[in-house]
Amino acid sequence: MTNPDFATEGNSDENELEQEIADLERRLAKAKARRNTRSQSSELNPLTTPSSAGLQLSPISTSANHFLLLLSDSALPLGSFAFSSGLESYLAHTKAGFHGAGHPPATSPAPFASFLPLSVSAHASATLPFVLAAHRDPSTASLAALDDALDATIICTVGRRASVAQGRALLSIWERSLSAALGPPSSAVAAALQPFSALLKNPHKTDPPPVSAHLAPLFGAVGRLAGLGPEQTAYVYMLGHVKALVSAAVRAGMFGPYQAQKTLARPGVQGLVAAMVEREWKTPVEKAGQCVPVMDLWFGRHEVLYSRIFNS
Amino acid sequence: MDSPFPKSSSAPGEGRILARLLPNGVSGLSAITYQYPLKLIAPSRPSETKSVLVFLLSYGGGLVAGDTMDLKVNVEAGAKLSVVTQGHTKIFKSATPDIVTRQSMHVHVASGAALCLLPDPVQPFEGSVYEQTQVFKLAKDATLCLLDWVTQGRTARGEDWSFVRWVGRNEVWATGDGSGAGTDRLLVRDAVILDGGPRHPQLNSLRESMHAMGVVGTLLLRGPLVKSLGEFFVSEFAALPRLGSRDFRSDEAKAKAESDASSPLERWRAGRLEMEKESKLLWSAASVRGCVVVKFGAPAVEAGRQWIGSMLAQEGSISEIFGDYALLCVK
Repeated sequence: MTNPDFATEGNSDENELEQEIADLERRLAKAKARRNTRSQSSELNPLTTPSSAGLQLSPISTSANHFLLLLSDSALPLGSFAFSSGLESYLAHTKAGFHGAGHPPATSPAPFASFLPLSVSAHASATLPFVLAAHRDPSTASLAALDDALDATIICTVGRRASVAQGRALLSIWERSLSAALGPPSSAVAAALQPFSALLKNPHKTDPPPVSAHLAPLFGAVGRLAGLGPEQTAYVYMLGHVKALVSAAVRAGMFGPYQAQKTLARPGVQGLVAAMVEREWKTPVEKAGQCVPVMDLWFGRHEVLYSRIFNS
Repeated sequence: MDSPFPKSSSAPGEGRILARLLPNGVSGLSAITYQYPLKLIAPSRPSETKSVLVFLLSYGGGLVAGDTMDLKVNVEAGAKLSVVTQGHTKIFKSATPDIVTRQSMHVHVASGAALCLLPDPVQPFEGSVYEQTQVFKLAKDATLCLLDWVTQGRTARGEDWSFVRWVGRNEVWATGDGSGAGTDRLLVRDAVILDGGPRHPQLNSLRESMHAMGVVGTLLLRGPLVKSLGEFFVSEFAALPRLGSRDFRSDEAKAKAESDASSPLERWRAGRLEMEKESKLLWSAASVRGCVVVKFGAPAVEAGRQWIGSMLAQEGSISEIFGDYALLCVK
């Protein structure tokens, strides 16, 4: 059984933390340099107005961090709350007796403690390489190829529905809201996803269609365009999955909001997400795959549930 | 006296099967070569002629550490090829994790041709390290029926997903139209990565993550000859009883409904559902990018075999198109 306390934390986290601190310090120095070279004219950011000129800017106000916070916000209208990533189906199956000997009944926090790491591991092995690859090369050709390859890999109707719905939502958020903040509409950054979007919207002759707009590659590309580093993008992508799962558990009545925050805050989750990012750091997309076969079954069988509150 | 076995090719583990349509309208082999540890047998006087049959074997009935098998298969226009095995493909223990036992298969199926690959499951022993890659390039109107399944190992010896690593990857590609303009397009990539090696302390062990399944498998269908089979799986999946629903009918109403359910399909389905419930078999089917992908898992290997065999036999088209012998391993 899993360790329900999520109590352990590996050395890799400390290294990660060290790296992050070094990274943030570098960013701080850059931001200060930028501030010094800039004119004192008031910018959009109230922190840079003359009245607060004496204030020490904390690294959190850099543009990348700002977007990091936006992309990790649960108010980001991705519709993630509509998907349980197989949790609902898993609960229904364990309840109906489709669980192996030694597995706990679905009436305690134990099943979630068992499901969470499985789901995070499966999600990472199947999709994280696509996030990282799109971050490395967010060009339209690369993004379209990654999207098509991922579409061939997610061989489950329910999983595809979830991935495509969130991917399209992210593309809309980028087009309608985020891109304008990064430059005028004609700038390279703001227009970067336009050809991809056109590919998606154009009537297509091929079957299957050229692109479907899955979440993972688009998330990688948006992360890159917003100035996030690959680690940050991967981390916030995986954390988004954990948050969606925890939120689904609350909505499914498995536990309340305090337990939810407790689960999220535990060093165990932090360590797990970091370990998954590390595990998939160098995985080429051709080698992405399912590492929890039974997850495919729960996911796919979401369709045969009598009552559903989630779309996956 | 002529040897009943085909000649060997040169490189270790390499093999080649070339199936084509003979002038009399029957599928035949124009080439079949193999090299130790791979072994291919084509029965010389087949009892049926719907497709040409090849047994895919290995010396000693399994692959020892570091063995590499590389099979190339070509099914030419209009031909039909069935490939089966004789018993589980055993994967023996590797001395160290970096000694990988590999099996790869590269298949071209021409227009109007068909390949039916329904082997026994792979049985990786404790300590084994195995990677399997199967790439299928299908021309327009080519047909593929592929089963790929893996077991927990030798249960009699207490093995339960006790191997070091098992990786299986199946790719189905649609080839360009031959005019040179179209390039190959990946339709489905089904990859399963089972890693029994060291993992993050938060993660369940491989055995726990298998949730008491003893066998997991994938059936991949594409092409005109398995269209009806694919539709059968999808419609049977849609017809599964809803999980968590409650039956509010009285006992008499239930009994009456049962006696009314008199069509052979309904009776068969009721029996199969009973069997699925008893054996705790889980399955799902999805139609994806022109292919039908069926996933299944069961605590007992034989339950999995019985289930897939029952589904294929009930629908009937595999035996009709490829011959009964194509189903040897799922009976």
